[in-house]
Amino acid sequence: MMSYSKRDDDSGKWLLTPRRVGYHHYFDKTTVLQDARAFNESPINAKKCRALLTKILYLISLGETFGTTEATELFFSVTKLFQSKDTALRQLVYLVIKELSTVAEDVIMVTSSLMKDMQPTSDVMNRANAIRVLCKITDASMLQSVERFLKAAIVDRNAKVSSAALVSAYHLYSIAREVVKRWANEAQEAINMKPQSAVSAATSYMTSFGGSVPSQYGVVSTSNIVQYHALGLLYTIRQTDRMAVSKLVQNFAAKSGMSGSVLRSPFAQCMLVRYACKVMEDDPSSTRVIYELLEGWLRHKSEMVNLEAAKAICEMKDATAKELFPAVVTLQTFLSSGKPSIRFAAIRALNKLAMAHPAAVAPCNIDMENMITDQNRSISTFAITTLLKTGNEASVERLMKQISSFMSEITDESKVLVVEAVGSLCVKFPAKHHVMLSFLSSALRDDGGYDFKRAVVEAIFNFVKYIPESKEAALSHLCEIIEDCEYSKLSVKILHLLGVEGPKCPQPTKYIRYIYNRVILENAVVRSAAVSALAKFGVNVEDEEVRKSVQVLLSRCLDDADDEVRDRATMYLKVMQNGDEKRYVKDDSTYALAYLEHQLVMYMSNPDMADTPFDLSAIPKISRQEEQERGAKEIQSGTLPSLSAAARGSPALGSSTNGGASAPSGGARASPVSAPALDQQAVYAQQLAEVPEFASFGPLFKSTGKPVDLTETETEYVVSCVKHVFAHHIVFQFNIKNTLSDSLLEDVNMLMTPTDESSLVEQVLVPATKLVYDVPGRAYVAFERTVLEEYPEASFSNELKFYVKDCDPQTGEPDEEGFEDGYQVEDVSLAVADYVLPSYIPSFNKSWEDLGGENEVVETLALTSSPGLQEACRDLITLLGMQPLENTGNVQGSNVHTMILSGIFLGGVPVLARCRMTYDSATGVTLQLAVRSGREDISMVLINAIA
Amino acid sequence: MELTLVGLQNSGKTTLVNVIASGQFSEDMIPTVGFNMRKVTKGSVTMKLWDIGGQPRFRSMWERYCRGVNAIVFVIDAADHAKLEAARTELRNLLDKPQLASIPVLVLGNKNDLPNALTVDQIIEVMNLKQIANREVSCYSISAKNQVNIDITLQWLIQKGKRK
Repeated sequence: MMSYSKRDDDSGKWLLTPRRVGYHHYFDKTTVLQDARAFNESPINAKKCRALLTKILYLISLGETFGTTEATELFFSVTKLFQSKDTALRQLVYLVIKELSTVAEDVIMVTSSLMKDMQPTSDVMNRANAIRVLCKITDASMLQSVERFLKAAIVDRNAKVSSAALVSAYHLYSIAREVVKRWANEAQEAINMKPQSAVSAATSYMTSFGGSVPSQYGVVSTSNIVQYHALGLLYTIRQTDRMAVSKLVQNFAAKSGMSGSVLRSPFAQCMLVRYACKVMEDDPSSTRVIYELLEGWLRHKSEMVNLEAAKAICEMKDATAKELFPAVVTLQTFLSSGKPSIRFAAIRALNKLAMAHPAAVAPCNIDMENMITDQNRSISTFAITTLLKTGNEASVERLMKQISSFMSEITDESKVLVVEAVGSLCVKFPAKHHVMLSFLSSALRDDGGYDFKRAVVEAIFNFVKYIPESKEAALSHLCEIIEDCEYSKLSVKILHLLGVEGPKCPQPTKYIRYIYNRVILENAVVRSAAVSALAKFGVNVEDEEVRKSVQVLLSRCLDDADDEVRDRATMYLKVMQNGDEKRYVKDDSTYALAYLEHQLVMYMSNPDMADTPFDLSAIPKISRQEEQERGAKEIQSGTLPSLSAAARGSPALGSSTNGGASAPSGGARASPVSAPALDQQAVYAQQLAEVPEFASFGPLFKSTGKPVDLTETETEYVVSCVKHVFAHHIVFQFNIKNTLSDSLLEDVNMLMTPTDESSLVEQVLVPATKLVYDVPGRAYVAFERTVLEEYPEASFSNELKFYVKDCDPQTGEPDEEGFEDGYQVEDVSLAVADYVLPSYIPSFNKSWEDLGGENEVVETLALTSSPGLQEACRDLITLLGMQPLENTGNVQGSNVHTMILSGIFLGGVPVLARCRMTYDSATGVTLQLAVRSGREDISMVLINAIA
Repeated sequence: MELTLVGLQNSGKTTLVNVIASGQFSEDMIPTVGFNMRKVTKGSVTMKLWDIGGQPRFRSMWERYCRGVNAIVFVIDAADHAKLEAARTELRNLLDKPQLASIPVLVLGNKNDLPNALTVDQIIEVMNLKQIANREVSCYSISAKNQVNIDITLQWLIQKGKRK
């Protein structure tokens, strides 16, 4: 191999910067590693070595990787270069060592050399860089020995050195928390240091004459960036201590009074704004104080700080119009700023605010109208999408026209913004749906990537979901889209929606044609989706003709070239012929996945269960709607504003999905245990599994939902209770919090005394060993059901027993001596509902018939305690602990209502209940309750829960 | 010319380098983490001194810095009898490396100002220096603190530079 570098070497013309084009064709890792022998030569040829190091860096930047041996060899050769005084070479040595530090072994070898470079006598460039390299190659054990030097560097008068040390400390925090914590004083001092120009009279003299700042240190930074880094480090050190962070914010905010802030760096000031928000988030009671700070910062002399403060106010939870006003005014003045970046930041903040508080942004409408023609398309896009939210119905049409005129000029990301704005607009102005729909469908015809097209399709989905009168038009647009759609994923989505919604339309046949066209023309993925969609028409459309023609179409798919398509067609045909549709096509339920996963893990980890099959019937089902609501909740909690601004990366995207999810949604809200409760149960199961006393109890069947408070929240000891039901055992979990800062509780037990005789026998007490102030602990009491056929209801009076020690108010040290004490809390009861897990089933009638009348128990009762039908439903759901189905948990009529319920009884026995209720103003609610289950005794138990 | 100084920790390598370079002795030294590089000019000779840390974790790296040098200087603390055994083992391990064959070695018994420091003959005995056959080996008893025998050490080293 004839290498370029070799030839170059011969001609003696070495280039410091590689010629980008085609350069790397002439060398590879092997040649470079071979050439690295030059590092060991004596004397050192600085020029040659610089070029070589550049090549190494170039290779690494291209993604080339080095093995441990290679990297170590290379590293040690590079260390020889520390003998050269050449500054440029030293720079490259630092860079290469940084790159190799993660791969090579024994990189601490350069510690002493770097420490020498860090010394005040060294060149300032070298000092800063050496510090940065040092933090890469050192480890927690070595840090002790360099600590002194790093501390000194933090308070160094040179900004470069100080910044380098601060940033290094920031990185080192993750590997040596305790050591870095000791540097807080230095960081504080770095913030308070006077800017360099003020320190030396000579320099300040020079600057006052407008000359550039001459200094022995070379270029002097005037940005005060050190403060930014120092503040960041201080916060990192204190972030886990809420009080300390609050103090930090208040200290620096207070000092920003008359004489100008200590924080001269606008970056540092911005960070302070963010920390202030964090304080407010953690401690809502501080909202008032922090708001005043934020409001003050709106008048700070730096625009950056004004913006940050305005954004912070806009993002406050539950901000009132009055509180928002000053922030909006500030942003409004920025809208006419000469700097595009300021205009952009302001309009973006307003755009986000407009999602939650359109009225607050409305005063800026005139300014935003002017921005529609802004030369910067990003700004004009935000202006329009904001106007869409703040404007009235009349302006919608005009705005749509204006956007259409420049849709082709903006980037895909901006298009997505516009489309999402239009999509959420449909909910607000349903009357304008035809304008918006035609805008969307014309947008679809434009060029654009997948994300854009997907946004359009999802916007149209919104129309289908929320605006019934636009459904047909929207579906027709969707049909058109799949006629010519380059993205299979989108086609599949649309076909699925057509399958769900199409059969409910007055003329389902017209969609069938579009769908079947896909079967003929598309790839296998789309074809299978089309087959599934067709099947839904066959099953859900009442018309016998349609059924028949769907069967004909499906049978044509039986010869498809693709397995999946054939399989689906075969299955659906079979299902339709056998009349199994209810089970296979209409069933939209799913298992509660988190719970199922946990049960499977338990099953796998228990060797005793190896011979018995996994009991799927004990897993509750939830409907698709619940699953979706849960997903939406996760999205919402996931996008809660956090401290880092980076997390707010695409604010418009995040919150508009929120908007979509929190829009109309009805239904299963009334269920006592919903999907999140099952997730919570998985958490409980984990905690219980850690208690050895409960190991023999087997898998957890049910945990009750929200803990029941047994005390007021302001009492000395705050106690709440959760019940856990096992096959033969009941475990009561008491969450206890000690709210007295001057006491320590030890050996905390709950004494439970049953108020009546029952077959429950107390088996084990698990105390909370120690309860320090404000840290919640848990105590458990386990009972055994000694008579397995009985599912006793019981009530217990409870007293907390513990050993209390006083604590020194200053140090928190507990006294040696303590005394026994008790504390009465409210009663706890065990009810039939605790033995029942609510469960979703797809078809109540079918399951009802399947169970048959064999174990049915029927009882007619007068529900005197319930004033109306809705209240009766609520009480029944609570008493039986079952899941209402088909939205029967919400009463529609006024006099008659039938609620159907489903659940799983302890032991995996399915139970169903039908509650027929009549209401008469004279007699109140009369209930005929019918319960069917796998066992008659269980049916009786449930009836008795009401009777 | 290039020289490498090795030896157990706290034997006085960095101190010796400082004395050679600037004639300054300092009691207060921190352990060398890795290596130090010093260039010293004596008369017409420029010496590059690689001073390598003596803690156990660095000993495996000695060899890397000894390859191709004009001489290896092995410093021992002549007053620390407990560590002589370890020093002997480390010296033998180092000289067994084929890469370092025939490089001259100078063993320096440092700290001869301390009361029970070994004499030159004792060092030669304890360190088994007579057994080393494949290269030139010399031994001096010195004191970096009192600058005893630093001049003859330098002469020996410069000699090695000239011969090459």
